[in-house]
Amino acid sequence: MLHLLEYWAARLALFGVDLLPPAAASRWAAALGSLWWTADRPRRRVAISNILRAGVTNDATEARAIGRGASRHMGMVLVESMKSALVLDDPERLRVDIPGDVAAALEDPDRGLIVVSGHFGNWEIAGQWLSRYKPVAGISRPMTNPRVQKLALERRQRRAFRMIPKYDPDPGRFLKLLGDGEILALLVDQHARRGIDVPFFGHPAKTHTTAAMLHLVARTPLTFLVCRRMAPMTFELSLSPLIERARTGDREADVEAIVRTLNARLEEAIRRDPDQYLWGHRRWRESRGDRLDA
Amino acid sequence: MDADGTADVLVRLRDVLRDSAVEEHDWDAVEAETPIESLGFDSLTILDVLYDVEEEFGIALDPKQVVKTRTVGEIITLLQQNGA
Repeated sequence: MLHLLEYWAARLALFGVDLLPPAAASRWAAALGSLWWTADRPRRRVAISNILRAGVTNDATEARAIGRGASRHMGMVLVESMKSALVLDDPERLRVDIPGDVAAALEDPDRGLIVVSGHFGNWEIAGQWLSRYKPVAGISRPMTNPRVQKLALERRQRRAFRMIPKYDPDPGRFLKLLGDGEILALLVDQHARRGIDVPFFGHPAKTHTTAAMLHLVARTPLTFLVCRRMAPMTFELSLSPLIERARTGDREADVEAIVRTLNARLEEAIRRDPDQYLWGHRRWRESRGDRLDA
Repeated sequence: MDADGTADVLVRLRDVLRDSAVEEHDWDAVEAETPIESLGFDSLTILDVLYDVEEEFGIALDPKQVVKTRTVGEIITLLQQNGA
């Protein structure tokens, strides 16, 4: 019954978003994000703690302002992703910067590409835009509500962009899709229980190694993507030059070197626009001693 | 030693699996007929193993060929075709 209620609430929200013009929908979503910030005290505490720990600011008031801005931003991400068609074909709304080596990989139908990003800016728009070159697979964790999951997949899968489940019995599925010349899009900034400890804003954080290992084993090119919002429904999408690491025979050292590079790229983007990052995730799980009472 | 070196490759492969796989498994019981899916790899651990296998044998495998293999014996054949 609860699942059914959630489903119809989601349908109603989507209906409202579809009816509103983009600017109004964006404002509405930002207001909802702000409301969420006020209502969700545990998440707010985590976000403020993370912002201060990252050293983006040392001032608690400013950290709260950044956190609220980021919460507004996440609301806007949801709406923008649903209205992405307005952005994807409009060069005024989506400026793109692709280095030559990445463009070559994108335009080669036989060459796979690993595109890494974090929960920064609008990664959904970026994934959908990339699919103009070749099929893109993004990884998602299944929602607890299968009805809402189905609805979300219907709205998120645009063009040749599709979501694939995080857990799958086929161990070779990533190798297969990269071998078929597809793009694998990975967000690497969530706590990775089986990951390795690598500095994130100077503090060790368990970080996913899949992108690095795929680069080393499948010898597939790897790039880091940033899609920052310049104005409502207007973005600047940039891809780094290919990140390459020759194998040394020391698997752990090779992986760590790549993961450090990816984390550094993400930090750089976040420092520039800290209010476009998902701060509410418990990135540093061991850090329980420095929470701020919000 | 067997004529085509298959047994040697299997022994070396078992050693790599024992060292690099995180799954609990009776690696000494792995034979050429053993299905790969029974070894308990997932999409991440298979990458660790492949890296270590390539380093052990000093070769580079084509991932498109690797994902087509179904048994340990087919992996051994692939290794041998690549110079192991």
